[in-house]
Amino acid sequence: MQRPDWAPDTIDIERPSVARMYDYYLGGSHNFAADRAAARAMVEAVPEAPLMAQANRAFLRRAVQFLAESGVRQFLDIGSGIPTVGNVHEIAQRIDPECRVVYVDVDPVAVAHSREILAGNERATVIQEDLRRPAEILAHPEVTRLLDFDQPVAVMIVAVLHFVPDADRPEEILRTLRAALAPGSYLVMSQASDDDRGETGERAEAERVYRHTDSQLWIRSRAELSALFAGFELIDPGVVWVPQWRPESPEQAEDAAKAVFIGGVGRLGG
Amino acid sequence: MAESSGAGRSCPGAFARAWAKAVSGTSYLPMTQAQLEALLQRLTGRLAAAIQSEPFDLRIGQQVGAELVQAHIASAEGLGRTVEVIQLRLVRDLGLVADDVEDRMARLLATVATGYARALRDRTLDEQESIRRAAMMARAQAERALRESEARFRHQATHDPLTDLPNRTLFTERLAAAIAGADRVGVCFLDLDRFKVVNDSLGHQIGDLLLVSVAQRLRRALGEHLVARLGGDEFVILVESTAGTDDAVRVAEAALAAVSEPALVDGHELTVSASIGIVERPAAGTSPMELMRAADSTLHWAKAAGGARWSIFDADRNRRELARYALSAAIPAALDRGEFYLDYQPLTSLRDGRVLGMEALVRWRHPELGVLRPDSFIGLAEETGLIVRLGAWVLAEACREARGWADVAGDAPFVSVNLAVQQVRRPGLVDEVRDLLRRTGLPPGRLQLEITESTMMSTAEEPVRALRVLADLGVRIAIDDFGTGYCNLAYLRDLPVTELKVAGEFVTGLRAPADDPASRTDERILASLVSLAHALKVTVTAEGVETAEQAERLRAIGCDAAQGWHFGRPGPARQHLDRSPALTGTTV
Ligand SMILES: C[S@@+](CC[C@H](N)C(=O)[O-])C[C@H]1O[C@@H](n2cnc3c(N)ncnc32)[C@H](O)[C@@H]1O
Repeated sequence: MQRPDWAPDTIDIERPSVARMYDYYLGGSHNFAADRAAARAMVEAVPEAPLMAQANRAFLRRAVQFLAESGVRQFLDIGSGIPTVGNVHEIAQRIDPECRVVYVDVDPVAVAHSREILAGNERATVIQEDLRRPAEILAHPEVTRLLDFDQPVAVMIVAVLHFVPDADRPEEILRTLRAALAPGSYLVMSQASDDDRGETGERAEAERVYRHTDSQLWIRSRAELSALFAGFELIDPGVVWVPQWRPESPEQAEDAAKAVFIGGVGRLGG
Repeated sequence: MAESSGAGRSCPGAFARAWAKAVSGTSYLPMTQAQLEALLQRLTGRLAAAIQSEPFDLRIGQQVGAELVQAHIASAEGLGRTVEVIQLRLVRDLGLVADDVEDRMARLLATVATGYARALRDRTLDEQESIRRAAMMARAQAERALRESEARFRHQATHDPLTDLPNRTLFTERLAAAIAGADRVGVCFLDLDRFKVVNDSLGHQIGDLLLVSVAQRLRRALGEHLVARLGGDEFVILVESTAGTDDAVRVAEAALAAVSEPALVDGHELTVSASIGIVERPAAGTSPMELMRAADSTLHWAKAAGGARWSIFDADRNRRELARYALSAAIPAALDRGEFYLDYQPLTSLRDGRVLGMEALVRWRHPELGVLRPDSFIGLAEETGLIVRLGAWVLAEACREARGWADVAGDAPFVSVNLAVQQVRRPGLVDEVRDLLRRTGLPPGRLQLEITESTMMSTAEEPVRALRVLADLGVRIAIDDFGTGYCNLAYLRDLPVTELKVAGEFVTGLRAPADDPASRTDERILASLVSLAHALKVTVTAEGVETAEQAERLRAIGCDAAQGWHFGRPGPARQHLDRSPALTGTTV
């Protein structure tokens, strides 16, 4: 097996990892000093950051629940992160143990951790790949072993696209993924946005914090994210602040004013 | 978590709802609001029981604290809000009554906090341990991948992709090590015979498969000896720590045997042979480069001897070849320094003894080797292409000198100059000759160009047209060494030839007594040749005439002219010119 050229030669835990910073926002302890320092700097710039991460994770949970209840049994979770609490396979397999899940992440530590968590689970696996190489993801033997692309698959790209700048042609990445999917498949996406937040300087601060991590921030507007759903029919209520996406209680939706993540779910017709 | 899904079993009361509200947002809770409330409703019941239990049970509060952490209500804020909500609302909302309720509340909060803190600490330590283990595994994995890719890279850089044999780089490394580590060392250069034929007739794919098969057979037959592929159909074998030449020869013979085994390649049964050049010598004072070069030239000796054999390096032979090579390399400088000059040999009329023409013969006055005759350097000059420059010089010099002969002899002889095949094929020949004639003022009829029969035969249309133009100008065209090659008179009809120079071999036969049957045959062949030539209006000059008898017999059969020692040895033009008008007989 050829070592992918994007994979690091060694693991540097002195460098903040966005995967582990996210774990910290969610209240986990799967992180190192450098991750916590960067995450604290982020909280200083955007005090609601942990709440936003929680809101995003809750959106992920509701979306998976919605899809599993709609009959989807296969999930391709790209940029899956450190498996902290409420992972896709836990949510989906609680609804139907037959659900199959492939996790994909570029972060080698996140992948190693996922591998340990998933040991013994025959219907879930993890691979180290990059969202920017969709063809390699689709052709990966683990992916083709576990997922049947003749049946609907839910592709999850949740809280990841803001690490993929326009220069990496996200529309082409999504076109490649879409081309592999059967009708009835779904696309779940969320990402950071600063629509309606006004000129607070937060964005510049946040970008500065992330400049020292392994991934850079690339904020998009609701219109831009909606455009990336091209080819999919957006499920009601479309691309919204994540707390507003099918909330379980009215209080949940109240946080929308402070949200930073927008997201939605699209369905492939035909 | 399983218990927490008991939503709806008991409707959450005001306290549980307030509690849920207080802790949400303190950390990520992987459950719905309803699930959270149901969980907290259940724990509320336990707290109520603890407050009222008799005697007070420490364990209940601790269990509640631990369960909160298990349900991921696991943060400092989560604990703080929990303590606050219990203290403020539990007794009031549930309407609990107990004697020493304040005292019991304090103890309950203490046990909840203890259970909570203990569980959170354990959980934190577990998570830290697991992320550290993941980092270590990831690092090990990354380093393994790096090592593998380095090993793969090293393999790719040192092996031939087609046969997976070591390549030149690795071979040279190993050879250098062998030279450094032993007294003697051997190298066998191996090359398949006529491999090009396989490639050309069966295609490159079959050719490649054949190479793979040869590589396998060599590797199998030679065991411990390193076999490398240098490229194309060239292989090389390292014979380490030899005791003498025999060791290397044995390896070469095993290699030849392995190559010559018939092989089935993609349905074709192919049998190939190889040639091998062997060098075996003391390691001291030699280098990989030198050994490889020596083995390579030795390989060419085996090829030149017909292939399917080995040759062993011979220092004397190598020296001679190197000397020859050095000689050819020195030609350009020698031309610049004027080390070449011309001698002439007369072409004498058999009818009246007049010198009709003189053949220019190039000489090299080498500063160290003395005067060299053409046979020691013309062949080389032809191989290296230097003949074009050298030939041009000879032609120009001959024309220049011949122009001067008219001042000495009224009816001056023509000058006959040899042209090599490369000169004939050059596009500029006509212009070159025309230019020379104009510059020197030599009449075209006094220049004869000698071209060998094989040059004529191998020459395409364009050069023949050039010769025709020259013939039309009046330049004489002679076929040199006639009779040694293809010998087809028919083509003479179509070529602008003025003269045939019959090769010395035919003339030699005429030295024997006239009644010798073999001699008579040669004479008859010559006679018919002469009459045929005359029929085509071509004159005949016999070369290599050494005796008066030969001359007489040639004259008798009608041969026009003769050249050879009998009529004059090569020398300065002057010595023949002086004799030119002397109308002596055929014997000089
Ligand atoms: C904020 S986490 C999101 C985790 C999870 N999807 C969620 O929403 O809860 C982002 C993850 O994306 C990963 N990531 C960033 N860029 C990526 C890329 N180009 N390809 C794959 N994963 C990437 C990071 O390593 C990190 O684990």
